[in-house]
Amino acid sequence: MARLTTFLLALLPLTFMALLLALPLGRTLAEGGVNLGVWRDPYFVGRLGWTLGQALGTAAVALAVGGPLAYLLSRWNVPGRAVFLRFLLLPFVTPTLVAVLGLTALLGPQGWITRLTGIDLSDGPGLLLLGNLFFNLPVMIRLAHAGFSRVPPHLIGAARSLGASGWKAAWTVALPLALPGLAAGFILVFLYSALSFGLPLTLGGERYSTLEVEIYTLTAYQLRLPEASALIVGQLLLTGAATWAYVALTRGGAGISGRGLVPARGGTRAVIWTLMGGVSLICFGPLLAVVARSLISTSGPSLTAWQAVLSNPETWTLVGNTLRFGVLALFGAVLLGGLHALAAWRARGPISRVLDGLSLLPLMVSPVSLAVGYLLAYPALSATLPMLIGAYTLLGMPLVTRSLLPALRALPPRTLEAARTLGAGSYTVWRTVTFPLTLPALRGGAALALATVLGEFGATLVLTRPEWATLSTGLYDRLGRPGERNLTEACALATLLLVLAVLAFTLLDGGEGEVT
Amino acid sequence: MIVTGLLLGSAASAQTTLTVISHDSFEVDKALVAAFEKANATRVRFVKGGDAGELLNRLILTRRAPLADVVYGLDNSLLPRARAAGVLDAYRSPALKAVPATYRMDEANGTTLLNTVDYGIVAFNFDRAWFQKVGLALPKTLDDLKNPAYAKLTVVPSPATSSPGLAFLLASVNQYGEAGAWNWWRTVRAGGMKVTRGWSDAYYKEFTRNGGKFPIVLSYASSPAAEVFYAEGFSAAKLPQQSPTGNLLLPGSTFLQLEGVGVLKGAKQPGLARKFVDFMLSGGVQADLPTRLWIYPAVAGTPLNPVFKFAEQPKPTPIKPALLANPQRLVDGWVTNVLRR
Repeated sequence: MARLTTFLLALLPLTFMALLLALPLGRTLAEGGVNLGVWRDPYFVGRLGWTLGQALGTAAVALAVGGPLAYLLSRWNVPGRAVFLRFLLLPFVTPTLVAVLGLTALLGPQGWITRLTGIDLSDGPGLLLLGNLFFNLPVMIRLAHAGFSRVPPHLIGAARSLGASGWKAAWTVALPLALPGLAAGFILVFLYSALSFGLPLTLGGERYSTLEVEIYTLTAYQLRLPEASALIVGQLLLTGAATWAYVALTRGGAGISGRGLVPARGGTRAVIWTLMGGVSLICFGPLLAVVARSLISTSGPSLTAWQAVLSNPETWTLVGNTLRFGVLALFGAVLLGGLHALAAWRARGPISRVLDGLSLLPLMVSPVSLAVGYLLAYPALSATLPMLIGAYTLLGMPLVTRSLLPALRALPPRTLEAARTLGAGSYTVWRTVTFPLTLPALRGGAALALATVLGEFGATLVLTRPEWATLSTGLYDRLGRPGERNLTEACALATLLLVLAVLAFTLLDGGEGEVT
Repeated sequence: MIVTGLLLGSAASAQTTLTVISHDSFEVDKALVAAFEKANATRVRFVKGGDAGELLNRLILTRRAPLADVVYGLDNSLLPRARAAGVLDAYRSPALKAVPATYRMDEANGTTLLNTVDYGIVAFNFDRAWFQKVGLALPKTLDDLKNPAYAKLTVVPSPATSSPGLAFLLASVNQYGEAGAWNWWRTVRAGGMKVTRGWSDAYYKEFTRNGGKFPIVLSYASSPAAEVFYAEGFSAAKLPQQSPTGNLLLPGSTFLQLEGVGVLKGAKQPGLARKFVDFMLSGGVQADLPTRLWIYPAVAGTPLNPVFKFAEQPKPTPIKPALLANPQRLVDGWVTNVLRR
């Protein structure tokens, strides 16, 4: 009976993934065959090395900066903490080209910071790594924060009363207990950085391109599917191994999320603010630069771009489409991702682990190869709305599952059993206990899924139609034409997108939602 | 009631639909499209298929189940591949008579697959303010760019991943021959020329005018006109003296890109598709396209917005037809002989 329920729960999300992921990917691989000879080319082996190197480097820096900050924020309260955590989601919605514009405005050859310091990062991989951190520090901080929050405060208190210093207590008590969360964060940042596409495409130039960029070049420009397929297979093996490690690490779930923050004083407060300042510089600096760019033309401060954008009726179509597609995909992602999380939680043993791992598949597969698969497998659907919403849903699903599953696993079994013994039916238990306890996590996941969809440049997955233009495609359009007005208007549209995102987060998530 | 609704819905959509696929930059006046729809009792559905190179690859991948009836945006460098893959049906619009022979495609082949709608000229642009401030003379030939003093001022989108980049590769091979061109590219790259993935990266990230450090960028001959058109406070009544950017027409560096429209093989609406081809060559569309796409109308005598006076119109060197027969081979040659060396 329980098995049947689990099976039924998993049926819908798994069918969806089979249709929108496995089948198209298989179609791509089958179309040209797989030419493994490409792996004998030292050039591609070098690209593999660089892909791994930049991803490991990003994950290491994110852990070194994000880990300590997350620990401190899980124990102490400082003014600005809640706003900081909420705004930390903003990089998720930021379209790649906007992040690149922001980074260039600050650190490009004539960037504001470059001119102040004289340090020019634009020729090496520096900007690419900073871009990786921009997108991934928030992931690390929120994951580690979730891990540290579940360390019962009384354990640390006990260590302190036995004479351990604050640092010693953190190192010997909190760290080992939060280690799975930290390791999971490390692997997720590694996966995101290894598979990211837009960033190495624009900031990597030709010298720092990653495997995903090479797959794109071979597929979209050279139509060499057999070679591209070999790279896809190699990349899948790599991400599969990382995912396996990730699932093994997060399997344990966790204890109760312990609140009870103490206001930070003196040195602790200074350390927290310093770290928050550093992270803000990386994660919010580029965004502020884009906002500033929308207000400054070559002739000085000016509202022209905003007047043009706000008085153009097309802008409201863009906002409307962005919201419409966002909400539709959000429904899909919450439904399918939620069912997937429930099934993985109810299932036991290896089945649970398999379901858990499968939920990460949409993050592991190269979007470029999927796009080709859609064309081959569903030519008749290729420019239809269901296909677009389906692709958006696929992007949002894993984020909902990743948020909900740890919260379900962290549910104290005794509370559920107590409700049962007091005579509650399974539906009543669900409604009165399970649902309210996991709602914050669901809201957090929903916010992330919506954010991803809001900022997504739809054309990467499906053929689009002009009437589907969203804020992100609108700003890409402007950046496809020369002229200053196009640049400042693109920055104004990007600012609108960010405002929309902040509103969505405030509505959906208190800012403390967890990502795992 | 739902059933009635569905029936009404399907009755309303019983009229035909013509599907037009194009590259991402395509846009045309909605009023003109509405008039076409009315005149032909049809609905026109536009689909965007990526940039021109991606668009062709998508058409090749789906040739057994075509994505559309008519395609706009394939150019003369892509035509040989489109021909070899058999994705287009022959159709020569009567309106092509008004297009000067130099801008027509397929004249030698006898069958017309693509009807030229417009043309653009890929050319270097430079940042006037930068050169004035530094007081450096502009380079005069492609050979001058071999000098590191100029090479390190130049940014070019990659021939492997961008259509202006490919156009310039063809121009350089036309100028120097293959071996000479690889030599040119290697020298200039060693001297500090930057190669970016796409046009936007080169123009909005690396060009000095937009915060980069390269005052010479490969773009289009019409870009200086667009710079004036999109400048703050632009009004057609009082045009400025000069565009902030200028054309840098080094001999042999420009490439004439002809963009065309054609009927897709296996089109569900071949008749309407042909009418759409004619429509793209009609006066209204021809006059509307230049300030939308920053290209020149193909039909002779079409009025141009006065802002185009800021763009010089060079006479591009004719490209040897043999080079256009298989551009992909040259891209591969460039990747092995220049990029990965």
